[in-house]
Amino acid sequence: MAASRSTLPLMKYLRVRVDALPRNTPLTLASNLLIRRFSEEVRGCFLDKSEVTDRVISCVKNFQKVDPSKVNPNAHFQNDLGLDSLDSVEIVMALEEEFGFEIPDNEADKINSIKLAVDFIASHPQAK
Amino acid sequence: MISLRDKARLMMNIYCFGRNLVTTAASYLPPVQLPTQREVHFWYILPDEVKSTTLLNRYLEILSPCEKENIFRMRGEQLRKGALLARALVRTTLARYQTNFQIDPKSLKFMKNNYGKPELDWQYADDWSLPHLHFNISHTSSLIACGVTVGSPIGIDVEEKQRRLKNDILAFAQRFFSPHEIEMLTHIADPELRLQEFIKLWTLKESYVKAIGRGFSASPFKTFTIRLRDHHVKGDIHAPPLITSKAPDITVVEASDDVKNPSNNWQFVLLELAGSHYAAICIEQNSVNTGNGRIPINLTLRKTIPYVEDECISATDSAVVIGGLTRLSD
Repeated sequence: MAASRSTLPLMKYLRVRVDALPRNTPLTLASNLLIRRFSEEVRGCFLDKSEVTDRVISCVKNFQKVDPSKVNPNAHFQNDLGLDSLDSVEIVMALEEEFGFEIPDNEADKINSIKLAVDFIASHPQAK
Repeated sequence: MISLRDKARLMMNIYCFGRNLVTTAASYLPPVQLPTQREVHFWYILPDEVKSTTLLNRYLEILSPCEKENIFRMRGEQLRKGALLARALVRTTLARYQTNFQIDPKSLKFMKNNYGKPELDWQYADDWSLPHLHFNISHTSSLIACGVTVGSPIGIDVEEKQRRLKNDILAFAQRFFSPHEIEMLTHIADPELRLQEFIKLWTLKESYVKAIGRGFSASPFKTFTIRLRDHHVKGDIHAPPLITSKAPDITVVEASDDVKNPSNNWQFVLLELAGSHYAAICIEQNSVNTGNGRIPINLTLRKTIPYVEDECISATDSAVVIGGLTRLSD
């Protein structure tokens, strides 16, 4: 039996009562503090990619072995800059010092170009 | 009746004398005998000795389209030359191990294992049957090497002795090496000596990780210790002759092992080459502990310029074994 639509009780609007949370209890204060701190960290801590690129490039140019004219954002450590495995590890160490955080070995393994280094560092909240 | 081995040797000598016949010898690669078990063939080339553009073009001809593309994409003539020589060395060397007939080096196919380690692709070995050859390459700008074995994973690493580190050696070691190794390096007062020991350790560690073939991240340097220890040969009548018994024994200990019981599966050789480089070789062996001693690795060193000449290097000024139980054959 097809009931006519107009006879069905349809809600055209719903009024919901919203109560402001009491702000003064210790529990809510504490959780607010936590939430606030987390947001600040997240918002403030990812470095700007172009800044990271500049810093990574100057770090790599600092290597005696490297020809500074070849260092550009797309340079590959091995194929373009002629660096070997020991050099790459030295670069990782230099980047760790520059950006103030430790790069885990399994990630360090994959950083073999300027672009990969920049991508990795720019997406790491601990980078300074 | 000349034996097959002598015949091969004779042909090799004739080949070695024909060093000026680049154009006529351009397509001839003398075959070589396969390494036996516990034997390593170590081939190397010095880029500075290869100057002929004709020869370099010849090398380019045997590369796969993919390899050529990779080389052309590189920036810098020296870099391209190094990459070209490395590929030419691998292809020509491996092609020589088929003694029944000539293999075109261009026909060899390579692949990478799950972790990126380059290997020969056996699927394509249709007409000829090459026994299970393993190889590993290492380059520096002044020396490119290729190690070959049969039936055993191999890893090699070569470094210039004069190499400088950008970072402080101890700071670097503290970040990447194991506690025992850091301690060993700290005890060396002379900075030059410390650098030499550091480079030796580095090459040995690299060769181990490359032999395992699962990349730096699967065997982080901090998790294993390489030790060089003088072993005392007390006039043991069972000690095989021709052993450089003064060379320290090299062992590896994984963090999980007891330090006193190093892993016996891996054997190392450390060489000083041409007075200018350290070379480390690591192979997997199910070594049989013969009392106090271990069975040595037979090592054949050949300096080569593919299509031109080979020079067999025995224990001379050009090569000194400085670690590991090795027998250098001539």
